[in-house]
Amino acid sequence: MRLELRQPKINGPKKAVKDEKTRLLHRIKSNKLAYLMITPAVIGMIIIHLIPIVSGLCMSFLKLNQFTLRQFLKAPFIGLDNYRTVLFDPQSTIRSGFLNALRNTAIFGTACSVSVIVIALLLAILLNREFKFRGLARTLLMTPWVVPSFVVGMLWGFMWQNDGIINRVLVDILHILPTKPFWLTGPIVLVAIIIPTIWRQVPFVMLMLLAGLQQIPDEYYEAAEIDGANAWGRFRHVTLPLLRPVLSIQILNGILNYVYSFNIVAMMFGHGAGFPGEYGDLLMTNINRNSFQIWQFGTGAAATVIVMICVMILVALWYKVFQDDLVVND
Amino acid sequence: MNYKKRKRRFDILGHIVLGIFVFFAVAPIIWMVVSSLLTQGEIVTGDYGIPMHFENYIEMWRRVNFFQYFRNSFIICSATTAVALSIATLAGYAVSRFKFPGSNIFGVTVLATQMVPGIMFLLPLYLMFIKIQDTFEIQLINTYQGVVIVYSAFFIPFSIWILRGFFASIPTELEEAAIIDGCSRFGAFVRIILPIAKVGIIATGIYIFLMAWDELLFAWVLTTSADVATIPVGIRLYVGNYQNRYDLLMAAGCVTTLPVSIIFFGLQKYFVTGMTAGAVKG
Repeated sequence: MRLELRQPKINGPKKAVKDEKTRLLHRIKSNKLAYLMITPAVIGMIIIHLIPIVSGLCMSFLKLNQFTLRQFLKAPFIGLDNYRTVLFDPQSTIRSGFLNALRNTAIFGTACSVSVIVIALLLAILLNREFKFRGLARTLLMTPWVVPSFVVGMLWGFMWQNDGIINRVLVDILHILPTKPFWLTGPIVLVAIIIPTIWRQVPFVMLMLLAGLQQIPDEYYEAAEIDGANAWGRFRHVTLPLLRPVLSIQILNGILNYVYSFNIVAMMFGHGAGFPGEYGDLLMTNINRNSFQIWQFGTGAAATVIVMICVMILVALWYKVFQDDLVVND
Repeated sequence: MNYKKRKRRFDILGHIVLGIFVFFAVAPIIWMVVSSLLTQGEIVTGDYGIPMHFENYIEMWRRVNFFQYFRNSFIICSATTAVALSIATLAGYAVSRFKFPGSNIFGVTVLATQMVPGIMFLLPLYLMFIKIQDTFEIQLINTYQGVVIVYSAFFIPFSIWILRGFFASIPTELEEAAIIDGCSRFGAFVRIILPIAKVGIIATGIYIFLMAWDELLFAWVLTTSADVATIPVGIRLYVGNYQNRYDLLMAAGCVTTLPVSIIFFGLQKYFVTGMTAGAVKG
């Protein structure tokens, strides 16, 4: 993927470079333009990414609450106490809230990842055929992705209400359910969160998979057909293996998206001010509430670090599985 | 003969499945539009009349100073797109074309930033901004520049990643020819590569704008005063303590969705080719 531009002769090395050090220096010098071009991005990433991440790590060891807020990094050092509060302190409400959120996010993330990939793949395959209204169908299927996710949260929160449109259709019109369920309380709340997330995420994944499908040459399918492969065989032995690189990227995207999911859930409950309940609280809403409503920044940072470690483990697992499908650099 | 018939049946089944999914994709959006044209009374009682109450779209600007929030969002998102896109274009080109000491570390760092959740930046940034305000008296919370700086830096890594893939798909011979013809290295980039990469750059720009329009977490903390607050902050005022106007909320939802859908569907052609060229390669 990284193409090296042949150095034009005028700038090229005039005499043989003697040792490693001068060679490195020479390479740095001859790439002056490249360094100039990445400088703004590097500065931005140091200020908004690196410094905050490092101070966030430091914050997780400090007693940072509404009283010590203005001391920032000079707040009292308390070692691993924040981590203990989040993970092991049986009396702490922060711990029970965090563990609930962890469980909910695990269920939510698995359900969303699997359903989004399956539905998106099905739709991409269905769209990858010649038919009259193909463009229209694709455009209509893309629309949920264009709706901003905070509007998605609001809209579905409104539709899930006890006298909302979903209950009216399911109970009053179609008579599928005998009574109107309270979608926004109790364990069922997870369903009310998962469905809008899938609804919003499928279109984008579908588009990416469709692009991947279109790169598979027709000859492969024809060859498989001549060899006597049925539709399932063609899917299993042609489509899936060739789609793996695209799928792997979308799976990684999904993991990051769902673990760090915030907008839709936050907007569905009290429009950002509410609490989704012990069965609906996700990690990001939980940490956000603890940080900005009860001003527990120290434990908030510790919880974030724990979540990040979990995500890194997931990404490492993902890498192990899909290692061979990634385009090798150089 | 038999095969063809079977294929036909499979096609029809495919159309039906597709049709069902199209219905589920579009129905909630249609309901948003319909309920924005009902009255609050009709929504509560379920006695839906004809959705023709266009006065909701006048009332929504009066009830809440929505125009202010809309304008703020527009200014912040446009500025963010401009800043992030220009910085990311330069960097994306550099990593796709030059192999310099540190280029691999840079590439990995760019990807690694995607693994860090927003809240990890938000807590320290919020406290940093307060600190800067206290020590240097530079106001960053509740100012356009503060938000734009944060948003731009936030969207840069991902944009670099998309653009890198896009630049890599352009053959290097084009620049080499331009350099032989007397163009400088940077001149070749500006005159030859930028016009070719237009599609990818526009696609990335759309992506940044949509993401910025959608940003919530930072907006809630960094823009609290109405002068700079964005739509996600302002839209919450339609429901809650003082009023419960779901009809107006849905109207505001439609108004919020409209500009991004115009941008997206107007430039869909660019988006689809641009995003997929850059993203499929991964």
